[in-house]
Amino acid sequence: MSRDIDVLIIGAGPAGVAAGIGARREGAERVVVLERDWDLGGILQQCIHPGFGLRTFKEELTGPEYMHRFIQQAHDEGVEFRTNTMVFQIDKGTNTVWTMNKERGIEHMTPGAIVLTMGCRERPLGAIRIPGTRPAGIYTAGTAQRFVNMEGHMPGKRAVILGSGDIGLIMARRMIWEGAEIEGVYEVMSWPGGLRRNIAQCLDDYGIPFHLKTTVTKIHGRDRLEGVTVAQVDDHMTPIKGTERFVECDTLLLAIGLIPENELSRMAGVEIHPVTGGPVVNDLLQTSDPKIFAAGNVVIVYDLVDNVSDEGLIAGANAAKYAAGKIPADIRRIPVKGGENVRLFSPQYVTGQADTTIYMRVTHPVEQACRVFAEPDLYSQRLRYARPGEMNEVRIKAGQITPDIKEITIDIQPV
Amino acid sequence: MSERKFICVSCPLGCGLTVTLEDSGEVLKVDGNTCPRGESYARSEVKDPRRVFASTVRVKGGKLPVCPVRSRTPAPKGKLFGIAEAVAELEVNAPVKIGQVLIHNVCGTDVDIVASRDLAAV
Repeated sequence: MSRDIDVLIIGAGPAGVAAGIGARREGAERVVVLERDWDLGGILQQCIHPGFGLRTFKEELTGPEYMHRFIQQAHDEGVEFRTNTMVFQIDKGTNTVWTMNKERGIEHMTPGAIVLTMGCRERPLGAIRIPGTRPAGIYTAGTAQRFVNMEGHMPGKRAVILGSGDIGLIMARRMIWEGAEIEGVYEVMSWPGGLRRNIAQCLDDYGIPFHLKTTVTKIHGRDRLEGVTVAQVDDHMTPIKGTERFVECDTLLLAIGLIPENELSRMAGVEIHPVTGGPVVNDLLQTSDPKIFAAGNVVIVYDLVDNVSDEGLIAGANAAKYAAGKIPADIRRIPVKGGENVRLFSPQYVTGQADTTIYMRVTHPVEQACRVFAEPDLYSQRLRYARPGEMNEVRIKAGQITPDIKEITIDIQPV
Repeated sequence: MSERKFICVSCPLGCGLTVTLEDSGEVLKVDGNTCPRGESYARSEVKDPRRVFASTVRVKGGKLPVCPVRSRTPAPKGKLFGIAEAVAELEVNAPVKIGQVLIHNVCGTDVDIVASRDLAAV
């Protein structure tokens, strides 16, 4: 069969680079990764703090260092990269991928298999409808991170951070080190969005106040941000009258969540899960379109890049297998169901073709000894606690998936 | 005897550590850790707290105007702002190689500031 590209990967962040490596190691001849930026590495280029890759490399690397190692491996394995190349369309059915590049113009290609690794983007201001004005000085935490760490600009001198996602916490410390003042971090929920260690090393280390069950209720300022009103909220997240307080600031950073970036997936006709916001996948990381695979934050937002890379390797390897005709069309699809304490999880189907890890988050903190498990009797692990900000895992061996299993239920319950 | 509590920052688990200290300041025991890294973090946190410092330096003639840097090893926590100032004053010429030492023995801490990415010249 004359085919130009065996496995085509969209996005050269941690998932895409790992997918390239996985596909080549599985024997795919021509593996191409498309990247819209001029450089490889995706968001990790701007994550210059340490904390990445402890599991994979047994040491804590910064984002650029972590990607440097993977990119070198990918080059060694013969993965091809095309930078400054934007995918603007994937045709439904034929899976033809259309790209745009300044030198090469508009091109299209129909590979043996596709891996979607577009990552995620930040929830913007528009998603939370704060009353007041819309002056300059309001940024998502990741945008501010790019300004400071890659473009050399400080967004302001005195900032309030709304939301306690990890990027916001990291940016609090980053701006303090650059001489700014952080008035406080405000989180509407009664638990933190980010990891506890980031509360410790980014806020507590610098005496930055952290307010739970408190949010920004109004934005002030005409041209430039002059301040925000903050207020405590009740159990229904309604601001409590009388608790309002004006906080002077010239910058508001938003760390209010991440959304998988799936415009292309939708265009390709891939089924999107209503809760994860990413493609519905089986444990081979194959989407509802058998030729299209997906991995990393485009599927479900992970805590750790190590998990993203692991999933990238799996998706790349399976895409290579598919391109070589080694994945049968009639594989089993055993549905996974989330129990009462599970907010979201991925993958949603298990085939029994390979060992698998199901990643999940609880709906609310379980601050006591508990058990994460998969029924019928597939996995059980005791935990000291379970928290929405920290993913939990269920591991199932291929050999455990016997013919009598019709459905798998995962849950976390106190013991 | 006294007790001090920390959140371990050695890995994403973030274990809650309790260190019991003798009146002399010697560590009697560490509780709450789930691995040896937690124990050594707690001991270091009591005696000589350290953090990895990460920032950027200005670059002349590079593909980006700034290049990320880090302290190769953890630096004394009390000297982080001094280190931040030393790093802020530095400007380097492109190209920069990952791992390249940009400041040797920063602020007399015996810690080196190194580049944490390759940055090509324009």
